[in-house]
Amino acid sequence: MLELKRALDAKGHCLLEMPSGTGKTTTLLSLIVAYMKAHPLDLTKLVYCSRTVPEIEKVMEELRKLMNYYEKEMGMEQNILGLALSSRKNLCIHPSVSKEREGKVVDGRCYSLTASFVRARHAADDAVPICEFYEGFDAHGKEFPLPPGVYNLDDLKEYGQTKRWCPYFLARHTITHANIVVYSYHYLLDPKIAEVVSKEISKSSVVVFDEAHNIDNVCIDSMSVKITKRLLDKCSNSITILETTISNMKENDSKRLEKEYKRLVEGLRDATIARETDMALVNPVLPSEILEEAVPGTIRTAEHFVAFLKRVVEYIKTRLRVQHVVQESPAGFLRDIHTKVCIDRKPLRFTAERLASLIRTLEISDLTDFSPLVTVSHFATLVSTYTKGFTIIIEPFEDRAPTVSNPILYFSCLDSSIAIKPVFNRFQTVVITSGTLSPLDMYPKILDFHPVIMTSFTMTLARPCILPMIVSKGNDQVAMSSRYETREDTAVIRNYGNLLVEVAAAVPDGIVCFFTSYLYLETIVSSWYDQGIIDQLQRHKLLFIETQDAAETSLALINYIKACDNGRGAVLLSVARGKVSEGIDFDHHLGRAVLMFGIPYVYTQSRILRARLEYLRDQFQIRENDFLTFDAMRHAAQCLGRCMRGKTDYGIMVLADKRFSRADKRSKLPKWIQEHLKDTNCNLSTEECVQICKRWLRQMAQPFSREDQLGISLLTLEQLQSEEMQKKILQRAQGV
Amino acid sequence: MADEDETKEYRWESGYEKTWEAIKEDDDGLLESNVADLVARAKRKRAALKATGAIQLGMMRHLFVVVDASACMFLQDLKPTRFLCVLKLLEVFVHEFFDLNPISQLGILTTKMKRSEQITVLAGNQKKHIEALQQLKDLSCEGEPSLQNSLERAMNGLKNMPAHSSREILVLFGSLTTCDPGDIQKTIKALKDNNIRVSIIGLAAEVRICREIAKKTGGTYNVLIDDHHLKELILSQVQPPAVAGSLEASLVKMGFPGGTPSVNDGTSDSSADHAPAYCLCHIDSETSSLMGPNGYNCPQCGSRYCELPVECKQCGLTLVSAPHLARSYHHLFPIKPFMERAQVPDTTHCFACAKLFLEAETNVYECENCHQIVCLDCDLFIRETLHTCPGCASDPVTAQMKTN
Repeated sequence: MLELKRALDAKGHCLLEMPSGTGKTTTLLSLIVAYMKAHPLDLTKLVYCSRTVPEIEKVMEELRKLMNYYEKEMGMEQNILGLALSSRKNLCIHPSVSKEREGKVVDGRCYSLTASFVRARHAADDAVPICEFYEGFDAHGKEFPLPPGVYNLDDLKEYGQTKRWCPYFLARHTITHANIVVYSYHYLLDPKIAEVVSKEISKSSVVVFDEAHNIDNVCIDSMSVKITKRLLDKCSNSITILETTISNMKENDSKRLEKEYKRLVEGLRDATIARETDMALVNPVLPSEILEEAVPGTIRTAEHFVAFLKRVVEYIKTRLRVQHVVQESPAGFLRDIHTKVCIDRKPLRFTAERLASLIRTLEISDLTDFSPLVTVSHFATLVSTYTKGFTIIIEPFEDRAPTVSNPILYFSCLDSSIAIKPVFNRFQTVVITSGTLSPLDMYPKILDFHPVIMTSFTMTLARPCILPMIVSKGNDQVAMSSRYETREDTAVIRNYGNLLVEVAAAVPDGIVCFFTSYLYLETIVSSWYDQGIIDQLQRHKLLFIETQDAAETSLALINYIKACDNGRGAVLLSVARGKVSEGIDFDHHLGRAVLMFGIPYVYTQSRILRARLEYLRDQFQIRENDFLTFDAMRHAAQCLGRCMRGKTDYGIMVLADKRFSRADKRSKLPKWIQEHLKDTNCNLSTEECVQICKRWLRQMAQPFSREDQLGISLLTLEQLQSEEMQKKILQRAQGV
Repeated sequence: MADEDETKEYRWESGYEKTWEAIKEDDDGLLESNVADLVARAKRKRAALKATGAIQLGMMRHLFVVVDASACMFLQDLKPTRFLCVLKLLEVFVHEFFDLNPISQLGILTTKMKRSEQITVLAGNQKKHIEALQQLKDLSCEGEPSLQNSLERAMNGLKNMPAHSSREILVLFGSLTTCDPGDIQKTIKALKDNNIRVSIIGLAAEVRICREIAKKTGGTYNVLIDDHHLKELILSQVQPPAVAGSLEASLVKMGFPGGTPSVNDGTSDSSADHAPAYCLCHIDSETSSLMGPNGYNCPQCGSRYCELPVECKQCGLTLVSAPHLARSYHHLFPIKPFMERAQVPDTTHCFACAKLFLEAETNVYECENCHQIVCLDCDLFIRETLHTCPGCASDPVTAQMKTN
C-alpha cells in the first residue's frame, strides 16, 4: 500500500508482485478509492483491467464490499459509480440476438439493428427491424446518468431490463463519467477497440493491469495479424459483394458516393481536432502524420479502392504460393509489392480507414462477413506504417505436418512496447500487478517504460502453507529432466510416472500436473499406459486430461471438481500455457499438490519466436537465453501459483526437473515461493519427496484457527495501533 | 531401549528434527529444569483441556467405531503397521470407553474392498469387543474403503436408538480416497437428520470430505502427527460429548434389575426371577445360547439378560445397575482446574502424596475450593483417575458443600 501511494504521489508507473489470495484486489481498490476521495482533482478515475469475465466479476464484488463498508462507516451514500464493461455478447438483452453464441455474430447482428442508417431507414419504413433497447437508450438514457453505485454485468443487464435501455451502450456511455471502470485488457491495449471504447478517458486516471504477467504477449497479439489462405478466399468474396453494391448504388444513389469523395478530399481533419485536445487515445494503427493528409487520389473513388483491394489480396495470394519459408521485413515487403503490383506505401496506409468509410457509405449492415477483409486492411495499414518492430513470416506448411500445404502469413509484432506505449504516455499512473511477475526487471525492459516503484511482496504467514520442492531424480537415481535429449528416455518417463503415483498415494483430494506441451503430455501418457503406471494411478485417484478442445476440457474440469468434492480424489494432467494454467484456480482441496513436469520452455523452433528473440537482443540487449528462461519460469510460477489462493489454503509444489535447482532458474521464481524453498528441498529423490509431503500434510491438517493467525498475519485494530506494530511498519517502510 | 525402538521410527525414516531449538538455557546455563518444565507443561495442558464447565453431556452413548481396513492400512508409518497400531489403541479405547461411559453401547465396523462389514453389534459388553478386535488382527487389508457404505450401515444401526441417547460414529480413516456407490452428500444429510455425530480421525492427511462430514454432523476431525498423538486423539473420544442443542432435558425411565441369585435375601419378589431361562442377549446366536439361573431380569417385563447395562429387547426399558450410574456421575460435575502457584512458603509437602517440595519445584497446584496444595503428579492423577479432590473430600465443610 505504501508503495502504491508513493507511485500515486509521484504520478509514475509501478510494478508490484503480490502473492495471489492475499487481498491484492482489495488493497488496490481501497487505496485508490481513498486517494480519489482525498485528492479528487489529482485523480479522477480508476481503470481496472482484468483478464477474464469471472475475474471482472470478482473485482466488482470486492468493490461492492468496499463501498458497503464506506457506507457503514461514513453513514451516507457514496457518490462513486463503479461499473464493469464487457463485450456485447455478455451484455446484450435483445431477446433473439443475445441467444447467439459467438461474439462476432452478436456484434454483427447488433450493428445491423443499431447502425445509424438502419435506424434512418426504420424511420421511413416500419418493416426494417431495429433494437428497441437501443432506441430506448438513445431516446432517454443519454440524459439520465446512472445513479451512483456498483454495477457488475448482471446488474447492468437488470437495470437495462427495467428501463428498457441497452446495457451495452449504456455502459459505454457511462464510462466517460464513471469513477471506476473495470474491463478487459483489450479495451485499452488493442488499438482497434481502444479507439472506440476508451477514447474519452481522461489523463488523470489510474490504470491497473491485474494478472499482468502475460501483458507483453497480449500487447503483441493485439498488434499481430495472421492471414491464411481461407481468409483470403473469403476476402475475394467480400470484394465481389462490395463491387456489386457499388454498381447498384451508382445507378440508384450516386450522390452519396460523391459526398463521401468530398469528405475524403477534405481529409480526416475531425480526427486531428480531437487529437489536439489530447482527449483521444493515440491510435498506433493510425499515426498522426496520416491524419493531416488527405486520402490519396488513387483510392478515393469507390471503384478504384475496390480494385486496389483486389490487387492487394491477389498479391498476398501469390505470396502465399511458396514452397519454402520466407521471412522478410516490412520494408522488404513494401518494396516487393511496389515492384510486383505497383502499389505505393501511401495508399496502403489508408486502407483500413478507407474501408471503414466505404462500408459506412454503402450501408452494409451485416459486418460479420467482412471481418476477413477488415483483417487484411489492418495488415496493409500496419505493414506500411511500421518498418521497425515487426516481421513478416510466410510458412507454406505447419512444422508438424510438412506434407499438407497450409500456407500462413504471419505479420508478427516483435516489440510489445508499441501497443502499450500510448497507455503509458497517456495516463499518469499505470499499475502492473500479478502474483507472478518475477524477475521484475524484465518487464520494464520489454515494455520499455520507467517505473518509479518496482517491488515484490512476500506473504506474512502464521504457518508455512506452501511446500515447494525440487525433485531431481527418481528412486533409481536417474536424473529427471524434460531436456530435449532425455525427453524420450523411458527411464525418465517412468520416473516421472512413479513420482506421480507416489505423490497421488500420499496427497489427498486433488492433484494438478503440468506438462510442457500437449505433444509431450500425449507421448508421456501413452508410454505410461504401456508401463502400467496409469493403472497404478487409478487405484488411488481418478484421472483427467486437458485437451486442446475447450469443451472437452471444461467437461473434464467439472468432473475433476466433482471427484475432489466427494472424496474420491482426482489427478488432472494439463499443460503449462494451456487453459487450465491460466485463470482457473485450484483452491483448497481442489489443488493440494501441483506437479510441474519439466521446465515449460516455449517452443523454440517457432520462427516468430526466433524473430522476436533476435529483435529483443538487438533492441533491448536481452540475451535470448535470459528471455527464454524468464518466460519459462513465469509460466512455471503461474502454474504453481494455481494451488495457493489464500492464507488458510495450503499446497505442495513439486518442480520435477533437475534444471530447476540451478541458480539461474531458482532465482527467477517469485519471492514468496523462493522464501519457502529451502536448500534441503532442492535436490530430492522421489522417495524423499514423498516422505516430506506426508509429514508436512499431517502438520497442515492440524487445526488452524483464526486465533493462530492473530498477531501474525491478521491484526486486530488494537494490535495495529499498538506501539510495537507501528514501529515495525515504520521500519519496513524505511527499509524498502 | 527396546521399547523405544518399537514406538519410534528409525532415524533414517524420520526427518531432521531441530530438537535443540526448543530448549533454552536457564540462568545458570543449565538445561535440566527447562526440560522438566517443558514436559510438565505439556502434560498439564492436556489435562486442562478436559476440564470443562457444567454443560449438558450426552451420557448414554451409542457409538459405532468404523475401522478402515483398506490396502493403505498396511503402510508402516505407524509401527508395526497402521492397522495393528490402530487395533491396539482401540483395545485401550474400548476399555476406557466402558470405564467412563458405563451406560453406553458400542459396535465395531470395518470397511474394505468398497464394502463395509459388521464386526460386533451395538452392545455394552467390553469383553466381546476386545475379543473381536483381537481376532481382527489376522484380517488382510485390501482394496479401497467406502465411507458411504460404512456410514449408512452404522446409521441403520443407530437410527432406532432412543432419542435421549447420543448417537455417534467414530471413523478411523487411513485412506485418502473413498469409493462410494452413490452421492455421499445424501448420506451426510441423512446423518444430520438422524442427529448422528460423526467424528473422524485421519491417519494420513486432511481429506476434504471427511472434514465436511465432521463439520456438518457436529463431530470433530483430526489428523494425527505420530502414534502418541493418535492415542491422544482416540482417547479424547472417550469423554462424553456435549449435547447438540436439540436434546431436551428429560426424565429417562430406567430399570434396576434385581441382584444375582447368590444374594437370595428375599428382596426380589418371586422365585421365578431365578428360574433357569434363556437370556435374551444370546437367544439369536445359535452357538452359545445360555440357559441358567444367573442373570438380570427386567423389572418391567421379566426378560432375562446376562449382562448390564442393556436395553430391554422386549419392552425397551434401559436396564442399568446403580454403580454404573454412579461411575458416570463425575462427568456431570468435573472438578475445577487447579490454580498454578509459585511455591507458597508455609507448605512444605504435597497434600495428597506428602511428597516434600524441593526448593527448585516451581509448579504446585492449589484447589480453589479447599486451598490445599498438591504436586504436579497428584494434580494429573486427580484429574485423570480420581475425579475428586482429596482436600475437599476430607474436609467435612467442603464435602458437605459439594453434595449440596
